Amino acid sequence: MNDETTTESLAKGRTYGVFRCLNCFERVSAPTGSKEMTCPHCGFAWRIAWVAPDFPRIRGPVWDVNRQLAEKSDAEEAKKGKK
Amino acid sequence: MALNRKIAYIDLSTGQIETKPIPVEMRKKFLGGRGLDMYLMYNHIKPGIDALSPDNVVFVSAGILGATLASASSRTHIGGKSTLTGFVGSANMGGFFAPELRWAGFDHLVLKGKAERPVYIWIHNGEVEIRDAGNIWGQTVHDTQQIIREELGDRDIKVLTIGPAGEKLVRFANVMTGLKDAGGRSGMGALLGSKNLKAIAVRGTMDIKIEHPAEALEYNKKIITQVTSAKVSQTQGKLGTPFIWGATNSQGLIRVRNFQLNQLENADEVEPEALEELAVGMAGCFGCQVHCRSKYIIPEGPYAGVYDEGPEYTSQGAFAGEPGCRNANTVLVGNHLVNIYGLDNLETGSMIAWAMELYEKGILTSKDTDGLDLRFGNDDALIEMVHRIAKRQGLGDILAEGPLRAADKIGKDSIKYLVHVKGMSNLHSDERATPALALGIATGSRGADHLRSRPAIDLYHLPESVLRSIYSQPVPYDGPLSSDYRDYEGKPWQVVWQEHTYEAVDCLGICKYHTIFLGATLPNYEEWSRLLYLNAGLEMTPLDIWTAAERAYNIERLFNIREGLTREHDWLVDRYFDEPTRLGIPGVRGRTIDREKFKKMVDEYYEHHGWDEQGVPRPETLQRLGIDNEPSHML
Repeated sequence: MNDETTTESLAKGRTYGVFRCLNCFERVSAPTGSKEMTCPHCGFAWRIAWVAPDFPRIRGPVWDVNRQLAEKSDAEEAKKGKK
Repeated sequence: MALNRKIAYIDLSTGQIETKPIPVEMRKKFLGGRGLDMYLMYNHIKPGIDALSPDNVVFVSAGILGATLASASSRTHIGGKSTLTGFVGSANMGGFFAPELRWAGFDHLVLKGKAERPVYIWIHNGEVEIRDAGNIWGQTVHDTQQIIREELGDRDIKVLTIGPAGEKLVRFANVMTGLKDAGGRSGMGALLGSKNLKAIAVRGTMDIKIEHPAEALEYNKKIITQVTSAKVSQTQGKLGTPFIWGATNSQGLIRVRNFQLNQLENADEVEPEALEELAVGMAGCFGCQVHCRSKYIIPEGPYAGVYDEGPEYTSQGAFAGEPGCRNANTVLVGNHLVNIYGLDNLETGSMIAWAMELYEKGILTSKDTDGLDLRFGNDDALIEMVHRIAKRQGLGDILAEGPLRAADKIGKDSIKYLVHVKGMSNLHSDERATPALALGIATGSRGADHLRSRPAIDLYHLPESVLRSIYSQPVPYDGPLSSDYRDYEGKPWQVVWQEHTYEAVDCLGICKYHTIFLGATLPNYEEWSRLLYLNAGLEMTPLDIWTAAERAYNIERLFNIREGLTREHDWLVDRYFDEPTRLGIPGVRGRTIDREKFKKMVDEYYEHHGWDEQGVPRPETLQRLGIDNEPSHML
């Protein structure tokens, strides 16, 4: 019973100090204490909160930026006839 | 030993009380908590009864690990035929009641009949009394607990109670313990009210012998580290469950304005961090190190200065997203009111949001609302409707009947705008972009909700290898799995896996937040097997625990089928299929659930369960699980 369990093994893969962009799900690193961050992978902008000094999380979208990006994406998809 | 707690059978009509031990064989089959309650329910409730009649039976229990050295072993379960849906009624709550029940000598209570006048039950160190509740009938949830403690002269007494909503037979009334620990979602409060049973008070000092105490203590330290080092636990310890609402609203996975929108834009004031600024600390349940319960004092308005606890994710949905309100004070007031009235916050918010949509569409008029301007975004109207539902006044009396009965009374096209499954309103999340979560609510045994089947980690875009290591134990699975929450493939298995897993957790009596619910790296079957052995001396493999949970889940299915459930009940309302989402990130905009793909998901879900194409457990499935001769009346 001393063998490592599956969840203990998975816990070794935890990442700290980064968060996943809630649009593209890539991991993003935010400068300590920053309050906003633009995802370098997809350009979506997020307001950042800090659970602990080394633990950022997304507080919410930068509403106008993300809405514009989403509407632009809608328009592109509509052009392609996807939506 | 941890397994020597008894069942008390209490007949409220005759006053007769009988106690029985629970054989170990029954423990191995159903463990305890929800599992054993479901067995008792299938055996003691006669088919087709009126849920509000004295024929209905209430089952209250602790889990098999309750009050042991297993962390967060705090959960209380309550069951009975649902007064809301007519199917399985079942609710689970944290706090301190279940450990106290075990210290008082009992694991399960079976409450039958109906008292002639309001009563409460007093349980202490193996003794059970039925006492007059004339002085507490009509009191709020909070005051009732205080009055009972004063009457019995012991401030450590734990009380499970209903509020005025349960007395008024609001079909989504809760039972409550503490200030905010709520057993909601299926009208168990109305069931107690129908029996003239106001409360159950417990106090116990009978030790629970831990089978291997030193090892159990050491092992629990390991579990605590595993739980508290998880990012999800740290986030919950700071923000409570509202963090979920924040993350999902950021993407557009939230139900807003009934079901018209999927994101509450510019919701900064009701985001978790904004609510945290109003909190005065965090609290936890028995044996918990996460402490996800916010403590707060209402900052302004008529309730300024009032202390309460919460709000949870569901109160954000009920008093912000669903009614389209953006005021933190409204969320706190709404949360306080459902706590003191003993109302299900989720159902209350959903019913009011539905009425708001009907009002804006002209199906309800100001005549129906007695002049109340029931538009979305009207905070005052929202709060007023909470009072009216709890007191069954005017339109509130109709809404208090729950979705289907209310739609029947209002008529016109009102049913078109209901968002429900099996007659229970859906959670405040929008599942049109998440087929796995949609399937979970469509098939849940007690109706639409997230705590019985939701593969929440499906939202995390976990690598397939991680998903496979989770979802291929303790039974092998080599089918498809996808990291994309918008996919349909492989999701039915995730739902089935989570159903059995949550059932297991509810049988053990530990909190889901200490298990694989919101965090992929939190304990599951392997850890539970060890906990059972060290604390209760019960040798059960991870597969044995899975099978016990599967057995209990099938009993729930049998109960529902006996009460008339068909395949048509495992389905979503048309809006999921016909009205595309409009907001959020590009990946969730313009999404609907595909009918044909969803039908295949249901087929696959049944197949994984060993049920036929109508959702009926196959004889060989029941035989494999040893429940082919139920009801067996062993207890």
